[in-house]
Amino acid sequence: MTSSRIVGLIARREIRTRLKDKGFIASSIFIIVLIMGSVVFQVLIQSGASNVSVGVVGGPQKLSSAITEQAAVFGLDASVTEYDDEADARQAVESEEIDAAVIDGESVVVNESLDDSLGAAIFGAVNGLVLAERLADAGVEPDILAPVSLDVSALQPAADEADEKGLVAFISILLLYTLLIFFGQFIAQGVVEEKASRVIEVLLAAVKPWQLLAGKIIGLGVLAFAQLVIIFAAGLGGASAFDVITVPGAAIATVVQVLGWFILGFTLVAALFAVCGALVSRQEDLQSVLLPMTLILVAALVLAITAGQNPTGTLAKVTSFIPVLSTMVMPVRVSTGSVAWWEIALSVVAMLVAIAATVRVGGRVYSGALLGKGGRVKMKDALATERVS
Amino acid sequence: MLEFDGLRKSYGTNLVLDDVSFAVAPGQMYGFCGANGAGKTTTMRIALGLARADAGQVRWAGRTVDLEVRRRIGYMPEERGLYPKMPAAEQLEYFARLHGMNAAAAKKSAAELLDGMGLGERSKDALEKLSLGNQQRVQLAAALVSNPDVLILDEPFSGLDPTGVDALAGNLAERRSRGVPVLFSSHQLDLVERLCDAVGILAGGKMVASGTVDQLREREADRQLRVVIPGCDGGWARELDFAHVASDRDGEVLLQLDDPSRDQDVLSAAMAAGSVAQFGWRQPTLVEIFREAVAA
Repeated sequence: MTSSRIVGLIARREIRTRLKDKGFIASSIFIIVLIMGSVVFQVLIQSGASNVSVGVVGGPQKLSSAITEQAAVFGLDASVTEYDDEADARQAVESEEIDAAVIDGESVVVNESLDDSLGAAIFGAVNGLVLAERLADAGVEPDILAPVSLDVSALQPAADEADEKGLVAFISILLLYTLLIFFGQFIAQGVVEEKASRVIEVLLAAVKPWQLLAGKIIGLGVLAFAQLVIIFAAGLGGASAFDVITVPGAAIATVVQVLGWFILGFTLVAALFAVCGALVSRQEDLQSVLLPMTLILVAALVLAITAGQNPTGTLAKVTSFIPVLSTMVMPVRVSTGSVAWWEIALSVVAMLVAIAATVRVGGRVYSGALLGKGGRVKMKDALATERVS
Repeated sequence: MLEFDGLRKSYGTNLVLDDVSFAVAPGQMYGFCGANGAGKTTTMRIALGLARADAGQVRWAGRTVDLEVRRRIGYMPEERGLYPKMPAAEQLEYFARLHGMNAAAAKKSAAELLDGMGLGERSKDALEKLSLGNQQRVQLAAALVSNPDVLILDEPFSGLDPTGVDALAGNLAERRSRGVPVLFSSHQLDLVERLCDAVGILAGGKMVASGTVDQLREREADRQLRVVIPGCDGGWARELDFAHVASDRDGEVLLQLDDPSRDQDVLSAAMAAGSVAQFGWRQPTLVEIFREAVAA
């Protein structure tokens, strides 16, 4: 029987077991809701800034539509309400129903101060209409005021685009961190369960330790990856629908990049968590052996956030080559700054080497520790116990 | 033939197995006896690749046991263990497939076994919801589900009630009749004596006796002749110069002969003393053989 078939059987069992586990499903939904919530939060913050409402009392005809047009020029989404009477308009400003009231095309009433962009939009709208009136009075065709359209060519394109990439990268990293911790825990718990129930003895009589390890990583990896794709798809869909991001191309590139790093990072972190889990025999002892791993992931998250603020700093550069840390730091560097292709290649190679080493050494620790009975196994003893293969 | 050849194993300075050799023939039920810590479990775990022998090897059909061969071995470990939250049937199918069965055959075999054990209706229940006795049945099923060529069972009878013992014995006998060699360890010597074709006794890491029960009996040095003459004191026996009396109670006399071939002379003397109700060589029980072998 081929190894791939055995690994496939083990992976399939992991997936089926998890999908039937209510705890797993509930936590998965919780994570998805959490991430969606943070996207919606971003939407609310951003749309709060660009939505304005204006009241109009009297003034030139077409003032309402002119204000809407002008506001759009300044990137504002203005809704205009017409009031019959000044008192009503003042009342609406006071109760913050509207941001500003334009009285007879002559004065503007606001609560505290007039937003610069909104002020410019109102000023432009009133001026334009008054000017048109005066020109018409002087016998000049108002067509003279028709705007000239300009071609815009950017020499240093897309400061906005970089921001968006940065935002997507930041959310992605947070997601990466959450999923790595979450699935790492599940992997370690699964390993301890097999050890505590002694089913490991029956399993290892028929399969090799590395096959068991690989099956677990692949099984949970598929679930984690699926979860990540669902979140990204819903997140990107939602974000572009609400105009939080306008350049899906850039965001998609970042997402694809993060997915790639996730595959590498997940494999390494999952293998490390599994080996840690193999060192104990009871779920109660698990947290203490996982603590160092968890701290490393927290450090990686902090470093990634730091790298987002200073992507060209030495700290960001160095940590983007260290396996585990690189999983989170490198995507941030790539999305916020320019990174040479060889830097990415070097980081990927370092990661692959670390994975190979972990699976090799981890396989030995795993088999030695799995077959040890009771209590906590020391790493040294686990390495010393060799198994016939 | 399942052969254990010169197994040697020590943990640190503690010698656990010292040149252990024995063989189980196809269709043979082999009882593996020994005190706690004698090395039975270690011997079995070496066969399953769960521990490494310092020297010696295990062969099946002349081939050194490797992972491929091991997939054809059904194993029940001393410390029971299955997935607690996984349904019984699903669990059995999983193990059958890990041992190389295809999906359809695994499903069929698991269902048949569970039905045969009266667990057909519980097959979708999580293992932890079954009683301990039923969990043990499922554990045995896990060893049998892939229709293995060899069975190695560590204390399969421990914790079973008499009905469970009979059911398990029936199951094993059925496998034996298909030519499967069955090796099992047990502390219950009466059970081993009743079920097994051959017995091995391990003491202090050494194989002190191995063979069929009859062979072991013949090896027994202190065989006794048993004569029953109701109501007659054993004085007649003490007068024989070629035998000495081991016990004399209520007309039952046990004699040890210097020369076993003179048993007919004993019979003549007994008949002269009274009316002989019973006469014959006493079969030592496995317990006695075990005691002597371990003491030697």
